Amino acid sequence: MRERLDESERFGSADAIRLIGRALRYIGPFRFEFSVKLAMLIGSFIPMLFLPWPTRILIDQVIMGIPFGEELTPFPFFIQPFVDLGQGLSTTELLAWTIGAQFALLVLIGAFGVDFRERDRADARGVPEGWDTATRTENEANSGFSLIGGLLGLIDYRWTMRLTQKLNHYYRTRLFDRIQSLPMTSLDDERIGDAVYRVMYDTTVITSTCYKITLTPIASPAIIMMTVWVMGMVYGWQSPIVWAGLGFIGVAFIPTLPLAGLHRRYGARSRRAGATTTSSMEEAMSNVLAVQSLGGEGRERKRFGADSEDSFRQFRLRILVEIVTFFLAAIAGAFIVIEVLYYICDGIIDGRLSLGDFAVLLSFFITIAAASVDLGAIWIRLQNEATGLNRVFFLMDAASEHDVDGAFELPPLSDSLVVDHVHFAYEADTPTLEDVSFEAHLGQVIAFAGPAGAGKTTLAYLIPRFIEPQSGQVRIDGHDIADVSLTSLRSQIAFVFQETVLFDASIEENIKLGNRAASETDIRRAARIAGAHEFIEALPDGYRTRLGRAGGKLSAGQKQRLSIARALVRNAPILILDEPTSALDPDTERQLVASLREASRTRIVIVIAHRLSTIRGADEIFFLDEGRIVERGSHAELMRQANGAYRSYVELQTRGVA
Amino acid sequence: MSADSTQPGPLGQGDRYREFARLGRGGLDDRLSFRLILRLLVRCIPLLKPVAKSLAWMITCMVVLALLVALPGINIVNIFWNGILDGQVLSDVQARMILLDPAVYASGETLTPDERKVVLRALVSTVGVLTLIIAPLFIGVGYWRVWILQQVNQHLRLLMMDRLQSLSLRFHSEQRVGDSIYRMFQDSSMVTLLIHVLLLNPLENIARFTFSLALVVLFDPRLALLLLLAWPPLLFIGYRIARPLRVGFRRAREANSALTSRIQETLAGMKVIKAYGAEAYEQKQFEQASLDAFEAAYAARNRFVSYKIVVFWCVGLCLMLGVGVATGLTTQGASLFGERFMIAMGFAALNTGIWDLGFYNNFKDRFGDGARSSHRLMDLWGSVQDVATGLDRTFELLDLEPEIVDAPDARPLAHFRESVRYRGVSFQYERERKVLEDVDFEVAAGQVVAIVGPTGSGKTTLMSLLLRLYDPDDGSIEIDGQDIRGMTLASLRENISIALQENILFGTTVRENIRYAVSNASDEAVRDAARVACADDFITQLPQGYDTLLGERGTKLSTGQRQRISIARAILKDAPILILDEPTASLDAATEQAVLRNLTSWGKGRAIFLITHRLSTIRRADLVAVVRAGRLLEYGVHAELMTRQGGEYRRLVEAEEEPLATLATGGGS
Repeated sequence: MRERLDESERFGSADAIRLIGRALRYIGPFRFEFSVKLAMLIGSFIPMLFLPWPTRILIDQVIMGIPFGEELTPFPFFIQPFVDLGQGLSTTELLAWTIGAQFALLVLIGAFGVDFRERDRADARGVPEGWDTATRTENEANSGFSLIGGLLGLIDYRWTMRLTQKLNHYYRTRLFDRIQSLPMTSLDDERIGDAVYRVMYDTTVITSTCYKITLTPIASPAIIMMTVWVMGMVYGWQSPIVWAGLGFIGVAFIPTLPLAGLHRRYGARSRRAGATTTSSMEEAMSNVLAVQSLGGEGRERKRFGADSEDSFRQFRLRILVEIVTFFLAAIAGAFIVIEVLYYICDGIIDGRLSLGDFAVLLSFFITIAAASVDLGAIWIRLQNEATGLNRVFFLMDAASEHDVDGAFELPPLSDSLVVDHVHFAYEADTPTLEDVSFEAHLGQVIAFAGPAGAGKTTLAYLIPRFIEPQSGQVRIDGHDIADVSLTSLRSQIAFVFQETVLFDASIEENIKLGNRAASETDIRRAARIAGAHEFIEALPDGYRTRLGRAGGKLSAGQKQRLSIARALVRNAPILILDEPTSALDPDTERQLVASLREASRTRIVIVIAHRLSTIRGADEIFFLDEGRIVERGSHAELMRQANGAYRSYVELQTRGVA
Repeated sequence: MSADSTQPGPLGQGDRYREFARLGRGGLDDRLSFRLILRLLVRCIPLLKPVAKSLAWMITCMVVLALLVALPGINIVNIFWNGILDGQVLSDVQARMILLDPAVYASGETLTPDERKVVLRALVSTVGVLTLIIAPLFIGVGYWRVWILQQVNQHLRLLMMDRLQSLSLRFHSEQRVGDSIYRMFQDSSMVTLLIHVLLLNPLENIARFTFSLALVVLFDPRLALLLLLAWPPLLFIGYRIARPLRVGFRRAREANSALTSRIQETLAGMKVIKAYGAEAYEQKQFEQASLDAFEAAYAARNRFVSYKIVVFWCVGLCLMLGVGVATGLTTQGASLFGERFMIAMGFAALNTGIWDLGFYNNFKDRFGDGARSSHRLMDLWGSVQDVATGLDRTFELLDLEPEIVDAPDARPLAHFRESVRYRGVSFQYERERKVLEDVDFEVAAGQVVAIVGPTGSGKTTLMSLLLRLYDPDDGSIEIDGQDIRGMTLASLRENISIALQENILFGTTVRENIRYAVSNASDEAVRDAARVACADDFITQLPQGYDTLLGERGTKLSTGQRQRISIARAILKDAPILILDEPTASLDAATEQAVLRNLTSWGKGRAIFLITHRLSTIRRADLVAVVRAGRLLEYGVHAELMTRQGGEYRRLVEAEEEPLATLATGGGS
């Protein structure tokens, strides 16, 4: 299924660069932490410069018996103190000394030689992950890494993991905040699963982008320079090895360049398929009542199965693209490695280098090459990130609700609500509201009536600015609501929606959502007015009853009464009720209408309803049809118009009785 | 699976569901032990069955490939160190392996520098060619492996989906959506590691360890002992860390699942959050959940990484000492323990089985391999704790027995013909909260029965029982004289069509929504159903008509429009029993009349249940059932019920009519 909030799957390199540049701006608040990490990254490389020498001493001095000072190549200055100590020691003593030094290295940095078996790194590799993008990202969200292990590695790792989490927390909350400020209409059309996926799994790419862009370009050259420097000290300027190592920048960059687009495409598909899968799960669970009642289990299973299968397939293809890319680069790299091998071996064969030098030189080469690969591969490794960034920024960029510059606090309603020549359309050429105007004053109850789809709910949505009119104004006490702050506007409005929305929390908390400051007495009073108190008290845990998901334990009418109580406890000067009584029985309804009348003395109450009994008591009724107010007046006035739209509407409803 | 336990009643089942939901919210730290982990892993084995064949082939290929690489490996190292770097002559086998003439390269005392260079180039070409042949095979097998593992995961996900779908609403009203998503997504993915943690990695590393150990014995048995000495401390550490690791991983999983739920619930309730300006409050809640998730992940990973570092200290120390001793032996030129064997195998040049540079490096490789295998086995033990935690959460869900299942001897309901009968039905959702009590009535085919009563009196529940979304605690419901609990669920629900009170639409097109229950319905049938529900007109006016995509909570349609789509959906199903729960609550009078008119002419021969408050709707029914506080108070035809003085129904009707009666004063007809 296509996602509603969609972004293009194909985007060019220029777009990718733009996205990455944008991600970088998010580093700002974390400059200090990043600098510390960078310092640790470069700093942790320094002890690694010590690693080759114990191995060389073991081979050259201990096994081959070459005395210090007679080796073909000198030791670097920082090893010299150790060499001075070792001067004149017996082979066994030297062996013990060397092993002692290795032991210190082992404890501190978790490594004591150049062989991969003799090195450890502090990272969470081995924390299990599955085979699709989402399950992998959870590890990424908490990733830490270090070049070294041991005590220092653990410190580095913990710092990095904390930094990663701080960043991810920051971006996650930013994105979530952003989603919350999307206009209600666009939120309604978005699939929840997709948003869950973006917040949970897509945001982590900002962090990894920041790491890749800031750490590698500084740390890799630093590592290369240090290595070349030490090597120069010992072996002289080994230009073939340096150049071969640096050649890996090209090896990692050039063959992968044409594949960048492919990486983006499969990265994007994998993410999208994952998001779709999340959505199908979410919908199947949320709508389980409908699924079971309508016998849709098989259908949901098929849909979920297909989506899930697709997400696996896309991930598999992404992996394949990555393996092939690696393979291509590896072939190119192999030629360089062979040349280096020839160079070092020929040096040994020709007697220019010792056997112990082989391991050392090779490790220098590998270090330079690995850092070069990191540099050259920045671009290709950022492609998958770019696909995530695209999804994150797409949502960040979606038009959101915001206050205009210089928005002011709306003072408490003292007089009137005016809707002035308002036009509104959800889709460009099908207007939902056309030239609608009306006025309501404090103390009034007004009603919107009219056939289904006439635009009654849309009209009500204009008042809390859930939607903004294409032209015309809504004014409260003469202030255009477009100029006031959203918070101050909505704090004066209590809205009861047609479809009740309850949260998986206690009844008390659900009512309290209308007004966090409400006392227990306030809550009970509101519940009484809404006709909810009795059934709540009859529940085993009363007001503390946990509702469970979507209030599955209550009937529709009970839920409706809770949401009315929620609105009443808000004690706001404007009360809007969209079909408040559709699921109520006549007794409850009559009670409610009477209390609304009572409440309206200090308020403006707006009611949308089909039920005559609910609307007929209104001070003024606006009858809508096809987006226009076709008639207005009190019930009595409107009934007097022969052939009036309202009158025929009422008559249709009462015909059954008369 | 566990049908052996005493059958819990529906209420007992509800307690279990509540317990499950409570555990999912962090009520459980750890309940596993080594034995239970093993049992858990073994329980997963049947999941591998569908891919067993591919799996066997794949593993065979992996082993063959690994051997292809390992066997020449030893000789490659020896040729390199002894031949090329040290200038010793090659063995016969070695020379042949890299396509060189043994007469030249495997004879004499030493190799000349030029010969060494030739050997180097020959070795590089051989290795290069071998790599080019083998590498694509590795890629192919790697891809194949991903495919197989994904199939296993897919299989498990579907099992979980089936289980979730078959659990009753009692379960779903307790369970958080985010938790189900997390279990299906993240927890289930642990099954892909099953083959690795249970089979491949342990086998590979134990094999490597044994192989290395055996070879090290050939070098020197004392060194082999050293390799074994690393194990007691390792085992002790592994034993002590297992529980803290599991607790950490469990909490991390729960915290992340709670975060998922938090996002899902906030988004689902966004309308109200916006209307009441609760964004800041929700944001704070979200931030707290996010921090909790990170905090839990931090604790788990910190333990995991510290554990790995300590393990490496042990392994590294052992490795360091081993190499140190070997260095000493090489200095002395000591002879190898398995001297003759080495020579016989052609590993030793010059037929000298002593510690030389080649054997020194070979020893380092073998000993290093042994140490590394120990290291990896320990890492694996750490990972297993998380895998087991995830799988445990998976099985917690799969182990929940759905309370409503086909009886063992269930028979399909052919086609509803005669009547639906409620016999003394009682029901409660929770203890001490009777929703229905002793309800008794009968509806025959061809009748329309209106169910009326105050809000919360149990009308919807009455219908949920007919669908077997719940089973009654007492009494029974019979269709055509047969208890519905004796029918297959599928056939029962096939005979019933329902338009729900809460108009649930799915995130797909209008057309797909209408044919939700009958996926193969033709476009024409969809339109016909829409016409009966008076929905065709507004649908065709939508920009993309029947192909318009709807949001789950889409504002594109008004509630009245959504209601008509859900009525069309019920009509299209064309089942002999039709339930309409408040079908017209959100419709204006004109539309309501039209829909009801269409419905009655369409509904001939069916049993139709109408739940409604609207008098105009009630009057179209043949029979009226009045429910109050879970009891059936009155049952009969409209006219008869109206004659009952002080009757509940009469009171309801009068309450409804009273405001209408005043219409005349408004200047009506």
